[in-house]
Amino acid sequence: MSRTPSLVWGCLLILAWGACKLPWEIRMTRQQRMATVGFTGPTAVAVREKLGQGLVLAALGGFRGLAANALMLEAHAAWEEQQWVRVRSALELATLLQPRVALFWDLASWHLAWNAAVAAERYGGQSSETKRRIEARKWTEAGRELLERGTKAIPEKSLLFQRLGDLYWQRLEDYQAAAACYQEALTKGDAPPYLERFVGYALEKAGDSAGALAYFRRLRLSMGNPPDPARKPEIVDREIERLQSQAQGSSGKNHR
Amino acid sequence: MRESGRRILAVAANTFLEAVRQKVFAVMLIFALVLLGGANYFAEFSFQEQFKFLKDLGYATISLTGLLVGLLGAAQLIPAEIERRTILTALCRPLRRWEFVVGKYLGLVFLLGTMLAIMAAGFWAVLRWKEAQLVGAEGTEAAMIQAIQAEARDARLWQAFWLVSAKLFVISAIAVFFSTLATSTTFVVAMTLMVYLIGHLQSVAREQWLESGEKVGWILQAFLAGVAFLIPDFNLYGLIDEIVAGNAVQWRATLEVMAYSVTYVFVLLAAAAWLFEGRDL
Repeated sequence: MSRTPSLVWGCLLILAWGACKLPWEIRMTRQQRMATVGFTGPTAVAVREKLGQGLVLAALGGFRGLAANALMLEAHAAWEEQQWVRVRSALELATLLQPRVALFWDLASWHLAWNAAVAAERYGGQSSETKRRIEARKWTEAGRELLERGTKAIPEKSLLFQRLGDLYWQRLEDYQAAAACYQEALTKGDAPPYLERFVGYALEKAGDSAGALAYFRRLRLSMGNPPDPARKPEIVDREIERLQSQAQGSSGKNHR
Repeated sequence: MRESGRRILAVAANTFLEAVRQKVFAVMLIFALVLLGGANYFAEFSFQEQFKFLKDLGYATISLTGLLVGLLGAAQLIPAEIERRTILTALCRPLRRWEFVVGKYLGLVFLLGTMLAIMAAGFWAVLRWKEAQLVGAEGTEAAMIQAIQAEARDARLWQAFWLVSAKLFVISAIAVFFSTLATSTTFVVAMTLMVYLIGHLQSVAREQWLESGEKVGWILQAFLAGVAFLIPDFNLYGLIDEIVAGNAVQWRATLEVMAYSVTYVFVLLAAAAWLFEGRDL
């Protein structure tokens, strides 16, 4: 057989297959993206972000997980040496490489908002306490920003919303925001059962005792009859009682 | 047809036996098993992190070893036969060229499949070993034991394994395709590696060409279209990362990617057979 017709047929087959496979690839990519990040894209931002990731990806030849783990190990080593800037850059890169790994966002925000912030506050080089606090606040904000991005990358899981709530509560003392985050986490379906009580605690801590009482009452009603013991109805009853007596006490004081 | 199948199987069996006799593949397998065992030594972290490291390293080891086996195996298939002139003896018999190409590919698939099965068994053993270690060290609570077991016995890991295998079979088919064109093994290895790397960027090129709406020069457009048309989209196998990250991936999506892989292999083998028909030996 002569070489030219076979070559032409071979090339034509590949081109015909190319034309057939494109719509298939586009559909599968959209379905996968819809299932993982909740949009079919591409938006301008998505394309740009993917281009950055894609270039790294091409260099790594698909071994993203391994590279991200190496970065986490580097962050761990830098953490032991208290080199916070190195910790941050390694963690940022790890989350860029594997944005769908909740564990990375969780660890990264914990390192920044807790470890780095506390280190800056207590052991920072600044002699002025105000400056040390400003520095600590910067690290906490960096951790918060990271978690906000994490919740956008993995919107279907409760973990990062819960962690964001913890950060608002423990580091920023913004209890209303914490309650909102916990409530968002509860809509995801995989939140631990105790988290539903934390919404009420956060509302009370924010000074909204009436809101907290109303919330606990709603929560108790939602437990049905007989309630699921794992949801600890006895604790909710106790909280309702406590908040009720508090409200009665304060209304009595006002009356007097 | 039956005769054809018999001849293809004979070539495949011969290719498989020839490859098994080569020490390089045995060394690779031992190396992979050592790496898999070594993955168990990230003990400083939480159990979720340890499993994440273990799974990533496990799949990376399986992928890398499979890639090397596929590349080196396929690179030697036809160019080496031509160089040694043994191909002439083979094709003198009542054996069609397409049967030779398909038989060679199937032999490579047998080899790859055997190695993947051994590595999967090794990986499974390491996961169970890690589970036993962690339960011994941390598992006093029932909930903790349950969480550790859920990580170690995650059935979704099978989905990831099938996806890794499908990806490797496509890469092997690409290498076989190039080996029907090439005269040297270096050419086959270099071209296949290039396609492998570009394949991870194919979706970016495709979207830039078809969906971004940005105005770019026709040379760039032609380049992007060429990449989209000719190169497989290896980002579709990114589901493996999703599974390792502990996210749910539907079996339907996995099966669709596998169907895509099988179709790709068929097309590549058909094109390779066509090209090989017209080749002067």
